[in-house]
Amino acid sequence: MAIEVVTGNHAAGYALAAAGEANRTARGMACGIYPITPQTEIVERVAAFPFTKGRVVPVESEHSAMGVSIGASLAGARSFTASSSNGLAYMVENIMTAGFYRLPIVMVAVNRTLGPPWNIWADQGDTLMLRDFPWIQLYCETNQEVADFTLLAFRLAEDRRILLPALVCMDAFIVSHTQGETDLPEQGLVDRYLPDLALPHRLRHDAPRTLGGLIWPDVTASMRREIQDAMEAVPEVFEESRRAFVEVFGRDPGASIETFHTEDAEVVLLVSGSVATTAREIVRERRASGERVGLVNMRMFRPFPEAALREACRTAGKVGVLDRDYAAGLGGVWWQDTRAAFQGHRDDLLIQNYLVGIGGGDVTPETLDDALDDLNGRSAVGPPVWTQIAEREVMV
Amino acid sequence: MVELRIHGRGGQGGVTLAKLIATSRFLRGQSVQAFGLYAAERSGAPIQAFCRYSDGPITVRNLVYEPDHVIVLDPTLIGLGITKGLRPGGWVLLNSPDAAASFTERFPGHSIAAVDATAIARAHGLGSRSVPIVNTALAGAVARLLDIPLEEMLAALDHLGFGGGNVAAARDAHAGLAVAQAVGVAAEVGTVRPEPVVRGPSFVAGDGGAPPGIETGQWATEQPRRQQYVPPCNHVCPAGNDVQAFLHALAKDRVDEGLEILLRTNPFPSVCGRVCPAPCMASCNRIQLDGAVNVRELERYAGDEGSVSLRPVADRDERIAVVGSGPGGLTAAYQLALAGYSVVVFEGAPEAGGLLRSGIPDFRLPRNVLDRELDRIQDLGVEIVTDSPVDRRRLLELSQAYDAVVVATGLQELRGLQLGVGGTDVVMQGIDFLDRVKRGQIRVDEEDMVVVGGGNTAMDAARSALRLGAKSVRVIYRRTRAEMPAIREEIEEAIEEGVQLDFLRQPIALQPVAQADGDSAAHGLLCRRMELGEPDASGRRRPVEIPGSEFQIPCDRVVLALGQSPDLSVFPEGTEVREGDRLLGMLERPVFAVGDLATQEGTVAGAIGSGRRAARHVHQTLSGEVVPTGRDSRVRSDVDVWHDEVIRDDALRMHLFERAPVQEGQALGAEQRISTFDEIHEGLRDPTEARRCLSCGVCNECDICVTYCPEGVLKRVGHDLVFDYAYCKGCGICVTECPRNVVFMSHL
Amino acid sequence: MSSVNGGPSSVFDPIPEIPCVEECLLRAGNTNCGGCGMSVGLTMLGRALAEAEDTCMLAIPACCGAVTAGAFPTTSYGVPTVCTTFAGSAAVASGLASIRDLNGESGQVICWAGDGGTYDIGLATLSAAAERNENIVYICYDNEIYGNTGGQRSSATPPGARTTTTPLGKKEGKKDVMAIMAAHEIPYAATLSIAHPDDFRRKLRTAFDTQGTSFLLIHSPCPTGWKSEPSDSLELVRIAVDSGLFPLYEVFGGRAWRINVEPTWRDPSGYYERQRRFRDHEIDTEITMRVCRERFGRLSVLAERFPA
Repeated sequence: MAIEVVTGNHAAGYALAAAGEANRTARGMACGIYPITPQTEIVERVAAFPFTKGRVVPVESEHSAMGVSIGASLAGARSFTASSSNGLAYMVENIMTAGFYRLPIVMVAVNRTLGPPWNIWADQGDTLMLRDFPWIQLYCETNQEVADFTLLAFRLAEDRRILLPALVCMDAFIVSHTQGETDLPEQGLVDRYLPDLALPHRLRHDAPRTLGGLIWPDVTASMRREIQDAMEAVPEVFEESRRAFVEVFGRDPGASIETFHTEDAEVVLLVSGSVATTAREIVRERRASGERVGLVNMRMFRPFPEAALREACRTAGKVGVLDRDYAAGLGGVWWQDTRAAFQGHRDDLLIQNYLVGIGGGDVTPETLDDALDDLNGRSAVGPPVWTQIAEREVMV
Repeated sequence: MVELRIHGRGGQGGVTLAKLIATSRFLRGQSVQAFGLYAAERSGAPIQAFCRYSDGPITVRNLVYEPDHVIVLDPTLIGLGITKGLRPGGWVLLNSPDAAASFTERFPGHSIAAVDATAIARAHGLGSRSVPIVNTALAGAVARLLDIPLEEMLAALDHLGFGGGNVAAARDAHAGLAVAQAVGVAAEVGTVRPEPVVRGPSFVAGDGGAPPGIETGQWATEQPRRQQYVPPCNHVCPAGNDVQAFLHALAKDRVDEGLEILLRTNPFPSVCGRVCPAPCMASCNRIQLDGAVNVRELERYAGDEGSVSLRPVADRDERIAVVGSGPGGLTAAYQLALAGYSVVVFEGAPEAGGLLRSGIPDFRLPRNVLDRELDRIQDLGVEIVTDSPVDRRRLLELSQAYDAVVVATGLQELRGLQLGVGGTDVVMQGIDFLDRVKRGQIRVDEEDMVVVGGGNTAMDAARSALRLGAKSVRVIYRRTRAEMPAIREEIEEAIEEGVQLDFLRQPIALQPVAQADGDSAAHGLLCRRMELGEPDASGRRRPVEIPGSEFQIPCDRVVLALGQSPDLSVFPEGTEVREGDRLLGMLERPVFAVGDLATQEGTVAGAIGSGRRAARHVHQTLSGEVVPTGRDSRVRSDVDVWHDEVIRDDALRMHLFERAPVQEGQALGAEQRISTFDEIHEGLRDPTEARRCLSCGVCNECDICVTYCPEGVLKRVGHDLVFDYAYCKGCGICVTECPRNVVFMSHL
Repeated sequence: MSSVNGGPSSVFDPIPEIPCVEECLLRAGNTNCGGCGMSVGLTMLGRALAEAEDTCMLAIPACCGAVTAGAFPTTSYGVPTVCTTFAGSAAVASGLASIRDLNGESGQVICWAGDGGTYDIGLATLSAAAERNENIVYICYDNEIYGNTGGQRSSATPPGARTTTTPLGKKEGKKDVMAIMAAHEIPYAATLSIAHPDDFRRKLRTAFDTQGTSFLLIHSPCPTGWKSEPSDSLELVRIAVDSGLFPLYEVFGGRAWRINVEPTWRDPSGYYERQRRFRDHEIDTEITMRVCRERFGRLSVLAERFPA
């Protein structure tokens, strides 16, 4: 298939459907779908796809969308869905169920501000709220990454060493609704890339088991530990999946953590999602003017790629973490995990938080310039900086 | 700090007991904790609860691993696990009816206190039957052990809203507690705290699927057991038939098996299925629901439709003579032949069958039916010699020629009535009348007939007379219809056919009518009216004459059917005839009297029963073998308790049975009947009537208990019910749902 | 003497070989209370499946039935089982059934849910599955209470019943979930009583043979929640059928009705007196009976006017 100009949603819908179709030689695919702005186009594309061995079940809620996908996955089929924002919040119970059941379901999430009041624009707070669940989380910058990471997520999730569901995230409208040139791979290539799914623990009549009855504390701990083992295997399997991707599609989908001019950087900006595009340009400009600035683009949030991040910031004295999300009473979620990654390793590192583009606020080059300037001027870490809010006098 | 551990069952109130103890300490100003170890187990499952109290603050939140004392709420939980981690010097409080001292060796190093809290709880109505709530009783016992004044514990009860029976239970247990001092030294306990697991089972590795294997039988305080009672039909059957068993076989459409069961006791099922008064039906518990099971017709069905081939069980040398080929004699012959003896039957009449042959009209008992059953007996090797009357001399000869003699000559002495005009055809004996009818030697066209009597012979004679052209037939009886010994159905049918019944009439004299012409009767039967007085020896009210109430009934012929008595002239003078006993004062070989001759019972079934008993006596006498007289069906291995009582309807769970109408055989209409001697009943078309049998007190493998067992641990293996006590929780559903009371709960 | 009431006269119907415990759907050694109606229902379900030479997967939402399984890795279920989220069973079953059908496989997909998961939290999920006519059998064992959490009211709790959240007795009526399900025009909806085992088995078989959604509502005694003797379980639900409290009927496609057992209008006092949940609160059995007769009257009209 040639390169086309499509939206991020289109790319996601295409990739999900192609992955589902690729399992037609095995137990097929089924999924539950439910609309919510701004992801609706994804499920519309899935619903319109002529699956050879598949069923798309239009359900009455996100909770059931994931429920159907859980059922299909337990029956050994490939399964996926898509949602966003409050849809994810409504789905939460079944999201964690899929994780605890170790089902390799892929969900594309379009990052949208949680409400009410209602706000449909980009904000990562919705998927970051799921941070403690046993889900892999990937964040995309471009439509191409959406297509590529969606396919890669299946290969990664379904690997026997992993068997965890995966979220593929993109910013609302900025990616989901923005047309851009995207290489949507042919079905034959997808078939090659995604082997038939043989879920080892699917429900079988010949070996009846019960999933999800009761569980004692020691077995619970053991199972959580097993999830941790799988999470720890993700970086390696991700790299294998990436190499296989290059082999099949002739294109590198990218590493789980992208570094740009970090090799000698004194100051590093840490971003994720669509902000990376603008941030990369700012870094390029500042480099041109001699500033030793670098960029870390986090494409993976769970498992949190701590080691790679520490390596990327080896030379840095300051890190500015840009969060398009807000954890109440704390600040940015990325900032929090970044601080944790360095604690005990680089206690000298100044890690400052900038809350940018909250609630879908536009993130311009100036936004990032201001943040960088602030960071350059700091000798000590301060509270998170709300870049969209002018400091006001406190009313007494 | 003091730590207590409580072992109990879900629903017994273990956590509440912990709270009660804690509350009593709290009310004294101490710091307390009370909590349960919550898990998946439900009502009846073993649980643990804990209580801590201390003068100062309590600074731990973990489970109690090394308790100071232990309390056990349920007697069935008393096992070695209860002292795990128990500190030296700690006591164990047991809810047990057994003496405290009986446990001291089992739990060395600890003093044992025991009280029967279950009995106390039940006495005060606490909890349910299967799970009595014993916590408040034990709170009273705990108070004594912990030296807490009872009033303080009662205050705790009050604080938590317990009153009434709970307070009384606490007082009772406080007073009734027995303590036995420790003996020996407590065993070393290993690690009691949880150890870290290496790695548990995994979803993704495909682990899991094994049954939980929790031996839930340990939750039970009661267990179901099998029992069996005597059904009333079996109890009353004069022939000794296993009525329940043959009905059960028929209910399952196993007709041959049904016949086989009948033939164990009764060689005449087709006959009895037509002429038996069926006391089994009169005693049938189903009458309380919707009418007795039609056992008689079912017996007929089995006899007519079933097919069984019989052969002797052994081969014996002894030869037996039987005198009389009525039902008693032939039954004895049949049973003896089955046992392997050579049997010769001597019959004075030209045909075998005795009264069955001569005394029962064809419309009730067709010839071929009797012939078939006689054939079966003869096929076993029984030889029947007819036209061979036996008198006293002949009996002496027989007793010398044979190893034993059975005399079954029935009731040959007919009761008469002096009516003044005797010795003519005008007054006849019923038996003779019927015999002549059978031989086709009599007509009664256009006659007005009177039959005197209330038994089956009277009915048979009256009904036969109608068929032989009588203008009118009137039966007169000195009592009322309720006292008539005839089969109810036969009375009803006689009325339908036109027989007139006059009650409370006593004939006195037969008088010729002077101006008799062709149309009017030739005689008048003078009768007196009667009324019922006090009951006589038979329990029936004695008819008493009403003086001056005489009146005349016009008639051409009078048939007397007043009953018969035995003719003992065949025996030596002074012989006392008693059923079963070898006749004393007789000849060197044993001679037995059988049937009506011995019992005067007057029914075919009674004679059959007597014949079988005689056969047993003969066999015992000749072989020295003791033949068991108990119920043959006691071979079942799954019955735990055999009851010798007859089960009454109030011991059945009648409401669990559906009503279903009694099935009757098709019968000819009354008009049609009186024109012929053809059998009037067609019999049942199928054996489904047998499904109405309630199988009182005897398991009929209905498997309702199996169907309803919540655990699926009640199985039928072959004919046996098997309870898997390892898993049975003792809910008791199999008991309450068994409609026939063959399962009961047994306390553990 | 065919029997729909399942009284003893029906026992002469040929009884199939009962599979040994090890093969049963509900295994011995489970942790359910003694006398649990759900256990009876599961045991009967297992037998009906064996008799039909069929098998099943169970999707069980949060309820006592989920606890029944026991602790992983052991399980009291002899069939593949997934315990779903409370509201999720009908959706999970939809996924299981979809893949079964796509692969041309046999075996029932059965939701086994309590009344809380059916009447209350799971109703939207169930409604949607029914509206899509998913090829599943949804069985609600209705014990009229949140039994798993210790006895709170549900919308299936009958009026007058004391629960921990209606300490003065429930004021409201019992939701007519059968009417709701019938209104979805699913191929088959039926009420079942464990005290009528022949009828019970027949309805299960009908549901197994139905293409599309079947909804089966079982009146399921709960000795713990109803505060009754475990041994009375069957008798209680038997009275409920006899007295018209729990009519046994079927609805086909939401368009045709059939009444299976005519109530004898037996006095329901025994039902109330044997359950301590009804104690302390006067139950006017006359009013109850009037309500039952009215409801049964409506059913009768439907069954007469629109017979199956």
